[in-house]
Amino acid sequence: MSSMTKRATPGDKLVALSACLARVANDRDKSAFAELFDHYAPQIRAYSLAREPGSDLVADDLVQEVMTRVWLKAASYNPGLANLNTWIFTLARNCRIDYLRRNSRYATEIDPTDMFNEMEDEGPDPFQLAQQSRVEESIREGLKQLPREQSEILTKVYLEGKSHQQASDELKLPLGTVKSRVRLALKKLEVLVVR
Amino acid sequence: MSKSTNHPFEELLAAYSAGSLPLSQALCVSAHLEHCESCGQKLARLNRVGSELMQQLKPARASDELKNRMLDSLDSLTVDDIPPQHSVSANPSVPRCLNQFIDRGYDDLPWKRVSADIQSVELCRDSNGAKVELLKIKPGGSATTHTHLGDEYTVILEGSFSDEAGVYREGDFMVRGTGDQHTPVATQDRECICLAVTEGPVQFTGLFSRMLNPLIRRNYV
Repeated sequence: MSSMTKRATPGDKLVALSACLARVANDRDKSAFAELFDHYAPQIRAYSLAREPGSDLVADDLVQEVMTRVWLKAASYNPGLANLNTWIFTLARNCRIDYLRRNSRYATEIDPTDMFNEMEDEGPDPFQLAQQSRVEESIREGLKQLPREQSEILTKVYLEGKSHQQASDELKLPLGTVKSRVRLALKKLEVLVVR
Repeated sequence: MSKSTNHPFEELLAAYSAGSLPLSQALCVSAHLEHCESCGQKLARLNRVGSELMQQLKPARASDELKNRMLDSLDSLTVDDIPPQHSVSANPSVPRCLNQFIDRGYDDLPWKRVSADIQSVELCRDSNGAKVELLKIKPGGSATTHTHLGDEYTVILEGSFSDEAGVYREGDFMVRGTGDQHTPVATQDRECICLAVTEGPVQFTGLFSRMLNPLIRRNYV
């Protein structure tokens, strides 16, 4: 009867993972943490490798940095501000920024710690949970339908961590075209409509 | 939260969400976000875009060794293993992202005189050479007309000012590009404090393009 079994949707998976996080927060449950690790570590590694292909050690370091925060901050994470997938993305992004700053050829004294919200309780006004999942669905569907040149530019900026200028150099496009493609993509995804 | 009317461009907000914005510019966006609810909502969705893109990547398997090492370390992890957040400044108009530079509020900073109307204090430099500073314009005071060699990012932290293009209030974010000319004037009722990030003049290093540098210094390019 396996053909009758309903396939788990991304939403079901997220509910299960969120339950794991709650067990980590409330019970310091290591097996729940292991489940989170199994799901997110390969994603975090892929994210790191998108920017630095071949750097497995850097990717493993990023996993450790992010999962350390998951263990320590599970109790302060506020699901009203972002779902678990988005929280993991912001943690991975913040850890990557910090890593790049520490390993940059040109030093800067700017400490990014207090600059990027980590979806903890003191953050901005939460939005409605119901609306959140709808937005999520529309972004997922929208990404599938983006013209290739627009999804390519989002990949460069979000995953490879390229500045607009770097993207313009690599794609041999004028800077203005890079910016307008980002803007068009966001418009298609309806990211910027404030309801 | 006050209602600001001047916001970062969408693609700038997206670069902030992606983590690909130079930290000096990210400081300005971050300071604006503390004032602006609508940009906060946009940012939440932009983060969601990043999260979806990350989930679409082909997963890269993690080794059992890494997993076991992680699980074994859990009991010994403490808050000292992650960077501490900075304590909150005594002055509520100091944005959280600037607490790292400002301990007790604006008054205690080593302000330096720039002109009769303006004082400044440099907070730091970014790795791309951009200068991060605070500017203080006295009530009714004016910044002399100036043009920029690089882009200048400004966020108003206290007070307000106006220039040829309009009036700017607390939380407002603006970018002035190369060659833009403007003369900001603070309003009469109080002094105006801004966060300003100025990118250094571009220096070409290629053999041919080095000849352009004198032109850049004179603002021709």
